Amino acid sequence: MEINNQASGERKLQCDDVNRCFQLLESILDGEMGENGKEVLKEKLAKCQPCFEHFHLEQAIRDVLKNKCTKQPVPNELADSIRQMIKESK
Amino acid sequence: MSEVQRRKYSQEEKTAIFDGEFMPHIDSMYNFAFRLTFDEDDAKDLVQDTYMKAFRFINSFEQGTNAKAWLFRILKNSFINEYRKKSKQPAKVDYQEVETFYNSDDVDYQSTTDLRAESVKDMLGDEISNALNALAVDFRTVIILADLEGFTYEEMAKILDIPIGTVRSRLHRARNLLKDQLKEYAQSMGYNTDEEEED
Repeated sequence: MEINNQASGERKLQCDDVNRCFQLLESILDGEMGENGKEVLKEKLAKCQPCFEHFHLEQAIRDVLKNKCTKQPVPNELADSIRQMIKESK
Repeated sequence: MSEVQRRKYSQEEKTAIFDGEFMPHIDSMYNFAFRLTFDEDDAKDLVQDTYMKAFRFINSFEQGTNAKAWLFRILKNSFINEYRKKSKQPAKVDYQEVETFYNSDDVDYQSTTDLRAESVKDMLGDEISNALNALAVDFRTVIILADLEGFTYEEMAKILDIPIGTVRSRLHRARNLLKDQLKEYAQSMGYNTDEEEED
């Protein structure tokens, strides 16, 4: 196996264990790895091109979902009608 | 589930919990309800119904625990148990059915070389939204919970009554299906989808 400690230009082009790596990357993106994740992530992104691409794609998808799918306007009267119903039920 | 040592809140406490811990989540609740039902009136009913239940069963809410997750769980169950029955819209995939088919934690992770982060970033809100809405409800649900609302795997496991391993694998499958949708959009929009790095 080739050892590659160089910067981004020389990431290896094949990931040795796509299953494990991608699952790990996705857990890191989902905030499930805590502080431990950061070190692993830095290493993966620096050394492995498939991991690098997968990470950025997954991150882009999470970002657009978060930023573009949460703005459904809530009907004005909804909160009031809920309070009213609660009041009546007491 | 039986509630052990359930304490009773006073009226004042109930009102304080309801206003202070439940009502602040109304935006997220409505967004979730709308993405489950695709209908403003149904979403409103579902949210109202959820809050009524939350109030009725407020004694089983433990103060200091995650109110948002508690509310989302009630909403999800209301959706499955009641809304689904009276809904005119046939469900694409049934939760239980999916449970049986997709309860395995084994997932194949593959590299998606034909969808690029840049293409995704260029997409409009409607395209993302349509792609999400095209997913079967159980897959849509995990993406809403994780990516729109930021719930942890553990919280999602509680909301959905499934093991954490299933949360992880279902989420992964859901994202793969979403990527397929996005890929179609990207191709139809003429985005660069299958070329190698340009520079």
